[in-house]
Amino acid sequence: MAPDYTKDTLLGASRYTIHVDEETSRLKGTLLKDIRRSVFVYRVDCGGCNGCEIEIFAAITPIFDAERFGIKVVSSPRHADILLYTGSMTRSMRVPALRAYHAAPDPKVCVAYGACGCSGGIFHDAYCVWGGADQIVPIDAYIPGCPPTPSATIYGFAMALGLLKQKLKTSHHMQQEDEHIHPRHPEIPLDLRIDVERESRRMAGYWHGKKIADAFLDLIQPADPQVEQHIQEHLRQQDDPRLTEIFARLQEIYRAHPKGE
Amino acid sequence: MVFKLVREVLRVGEATVLYPFVPAEISPGFRGKPKHDPALCIACAACAVACPPNALTIAADLDQGIISWSIFYGRCIFCGRCEEVCPTGAIQLTPEFELAVMDKADLYEQADYQLAACTQCGVLFAPAKELEYVLSLTEQAGLSGEELAERKALLSVCPTCKRKNDIPKLLQLDQEAV
Repeated sequence: MAPDYTKDTLLGASRYTIHVDEETSRLKGTLLKDIRRSVFVYRVDCGGCNGCEIEIFAAITPIFDAERFGIKVVSSPRHADILLYTGSMTRSMRVPALRAYHAAPDPKVCVAYGACGCSGGIFHDAYCVWGGADQIVPIDAYIPGCPPTPSATIYGFAMALGLLKQKLKTSHHMQQEDEHIHPRHPEIPLDLRIDVERESRRMAGYWHGKKIADAFLDLIQPADPQVEQHIQEHLRQQDDPRLTEIFARLQEIYRAHPKGE
Repeated sequence: MVFKLVREVLRVGEATVLYPFVPAEISPGFRGKPKHDPALCIACAACAVACPPNALTIAADLDQGIISWSIFYGRCIFCGRCEEVCPTGAIQLTPEFELAVMDKADLYEQADYQLAACTQCGVLFAPAKELEYVLSLTEQAGLSGEELAERKALLSVCPTCKRKNDIPKLLQLDQEAV
């Protein structure tokens, strides 16, 4: 029987915590290691934007077809082996989250899905946000992404079930003695570089603007007489009228700029 | 009827991608895991300021004289703002999307950099690599010789000392004006 957590979490200041006993965690280990049947997934939306739900459903469509691995989304936590927590865990959703947790039979695996489920995501410091499913229930696997793509979803499940290996490892770098930094595009005058970067960002927006400016600055070498030909060749390869227009504007800036004197 | 259906099935073929068995097909412009090159990073904190969900953070430890850059992939929304603001190209989004982990600690990455001390008062005030980068930029902008040395002396002084140094100069200007 589920404990009476409602009083504690709704009214009391103390936070209700779940203790997983030894027997359950042993059973959970077995579930993760040698499950010889399909896994049933129940999706618990704890205050998400629905982006994660869309990707979960994309993962069970015929294109990605998670069901070929036996991963099946069910509509009741009582059938579930895996509880998939999405959303940043808002104040009003933590009791339903706990109810779903207690309704699922042991052994069960809890997965935090998406940036919000892992940590609260972009809403982590908003009011009424508890900041991730792991604040409420014990989480066994984390699938980050905003939202995770269907491929990332399939990878996450396969990793949680021990079919694929975990790729991401924590790292800690210390500054080395021989670490030295040099400006990019050292042969290009600083003010030309700034003008090109500004104009490119103005025309193409924040992320592509930098990429386009970098491509342009890579192409122009002040001493090279064939700069214009290189640019034309690049534009032919890319075959994008938007890029052609932006490059034309950048070329105007480049031509207007004094060279070498 | 059945024949028609079978023909249709054969015509359509298999729609399912083979993903876990073959590498996934990634479209150009896909924004995946931000990759940090610690050697290029100058710990200037531009990314930490730009990062909308505060996945990127910068913290200074004055006792140890280091400034720590860290990323928490569990919070990252893959917007690419960090890549855009990075002056040295140290952080770049990659097509890597397989980020799922069993242990939350594996979602963190950290890089520590040395802080430089003010030449006048000895207070730690900026990452040493950042100062080096600014100096190389001034060199690129065309400064050399005495001017560059002057700029270097100015750069290695903390903002408080800079203000203190400016006061006598300002007073002098004031008196000259009168």
